[in-house]
Amino acid sequence: MPEIKNIIKGCLAGNRRDQELLYRRHAARLYAVCLQYSGNDDEARDILQEGFIKIFENLSHYKHEGSFEGWMHRIVVNTALEKYRSKHNLYRVDDIDLIPEQDAAPETEDYAGLEAVDLLDIIRELPPKYRMVFNLFAIEGYSHKEIGEMVNISEGTSKSNLSRARIILQKKVSLYTGLKKNVLNG
Amino acid sequence: MVNKQADIDLLFRNGLKDFEVLPPAEVWDHIRPAIRKKQQPVILLRSAALIAVLFSLGFLAYQMSRLSEPAQNPFLSFDQGPIRPRALPSDPVLEKLMPASDRQTSPAMQDQISLPEPEAELNNEEYISQPGPDIFTEISNLNFRSNIITPSGIRSVRITDYSKVNSASGIGDLNSPAIDEIKGKTDRWSLTAMASPTYYMRPDLASSDMADQVSSPEQSRISYSGGLSFSYKISKKLSIQSGLYYSSIGNKVDDIRSYAGFSRFDYTKGDHNFEVMTTSGPIFTSNPDVFLADIGGDRVVTKYTNDVFDPGKANLSYINSSLFQNFSYLEMPVFVRYKLIDKSLDFNLVGGLSYNLLINNSVHAMIDGSKYDVGKTAGLNSFMVSSSFGMGMEYSLSEKISLNLEPTFRYYLNPFSNIQSSSARPYSFGVFSGLSYRF
Repeated sequence: MPEIKNIIKGCLAGNRRDQELLYRRHAARLYAVCLQYSGNDDEARDILQEGFIKIFENLSHYKHEGSFEGWMHRIVVNTALEKYRSKHNLYRVDDIDLIPEQDAAPETEDYAGLEAVDLLDIIRELPPKYRMVFNLFAIEGYSHKEIGEMVNISEGTSKSNLSRARIILQKKVSLYTGLKKNVLNG
Repeated sequence: MVNKQADIDLLFRNGLKDFEVLPPAEVWDHIRPAIRKKQQPVILLRSAALIAVLFSLGFLAYQMSRLSEPAQNPFLSFDQGPIRPRALPSDPVLEKLMPASDRQTSPAMQDQISLPEPEAELNNEEYISQPGPDIFTEISNLNFRSNIITPSGIRSVRITDYSKVNSASGIGDLNSPAIDEIKGKTDRWSLTAMASPTYYMRPDLASSDMADQVSSPEQSRISYSGGLSFSYKISKKLSIQSGLYYSSIGNKVDDIRSYAGFSRFDYTKGDHNFEVMTTSGPIFTSNPDVFLADIGGDRVVTKYTNDVFDPGKANLSYINSSLFQNFSYLEMPVFVRYKLIDKSLDFNLVGGLSYNLLINNSVHAMIDGSKYDVGKTAGLNSFMVSSSFGMGMEYSLSEKISLNLEPTFRYYLNPFSNIQSSSARPYSFGVFSGLSYRF
């Protein structure tokens, strides 16, 4: 299997086969990230496509320091963020009040039986603002200050959105877990 | 509650880690990247420099090849046929003046003297290079064969040492002594007006997250330099040059959002509301009406952080997402110019130092094609010294006026800024062109 350095070199030389090799190796993982950041499959496809174009176009800036997967992951997340920024005025978070804070997750946490695909489905059901803040905070590890600057919201709004996202997620996880148990118990 | 929150975060973080989903097959077909090479401007610049050097060397080679060809003298005919040993025609007066061994003409002499005997030819290899009497002077004094030898032609060439004659090419250095004396006695001074687009570069700062964050969104702008200079010819090949130039350079700092209309919200005291970290030093805002925010980093230092002030909610007018730093210098070069080739197209090596005085330091944003003042860059060195090296070409348009072209590389001996973190020394490349007047 060719080394990643050689593949990058080939990509920089414009070798289409090396570009395809790079894509085939990493597309599945990055597509999962795209799905995680988008509410529908078309948007996820667009993010993946634009993300890979950026990866190829900026390969010469990759300094071979740190993880190449991490570098590609950041580019895809930034692409998702740009997409979100360009659209966020179109979204409306109108279901906040439907989930009162006191109806949060059950006291006993039992997430057994939940698979990655279930988690992906749950996270994609979140309203875009909550999904973006939850992804950036809980999955990527950004601070509220950083998220505020990235998404162009205040730190307070970021905290509030995260809190709402967690409530929704906990509720949905419980629902999924209960459903799964019921199915298993017949 | 906190634990529950952490649990849900961990559940998703760990659950989605390494999760893979195969994308639809058609996605790959739509990925057609245009590969961008790193530091494209530098590559273009290097190419331009290479072309300039190749151009210079090409002309140099052309001039050299012209020098090695047999010289044509309009006054005297030149035997282009094969050269074979030949004695000078027997002349009783000449025989007295020259020893028998010297009575063979050099090829250089053959260029100057055309003799009627076509069969009399000289062997180039057998040319005698002994110091001897001033043959031509004496010949002209003798006035022999005055119908063949043009006196003015003889007087213009004065060879007193045969060893100066190039035995390989068969010609003497026709540019030396007398011709140059006649040519060079007059025009020792020249006044030159030159200008150049200049591209500035700066070596990478020390590798750190902050350095990367600061330097990656910055681009050098193509700058201009121009002015007047005097040069004085010390000798045939050497001259010194000085004058006064104006140069304007700058940086474009991307991903900094600027907004107007902030003054009505500014209730704090202090000399500036915002600082922006750049490779040339921090930008301090002087305009109280401007609000700055970094799009994706921590380059803006301010009391008005995102949690304190939201420009969107305050309804500020968005200006642009780039800032432009401008620095203007008054420059006094002291250069030495060495003439490699002295023909109608001269080639010079130029090198020396320039003393630069900072006369303008400003930062602005652009809105609808007009400048919006932001502030200035702090900590800049007001006096800088740079070293330059260039290769100049000078083409004589007339006896007094010539056209100049000088690809020049410049390296600054002290940094732009006296702030430790911005201490990179820039370098630049420009192709100066202009006209010079000799007097």
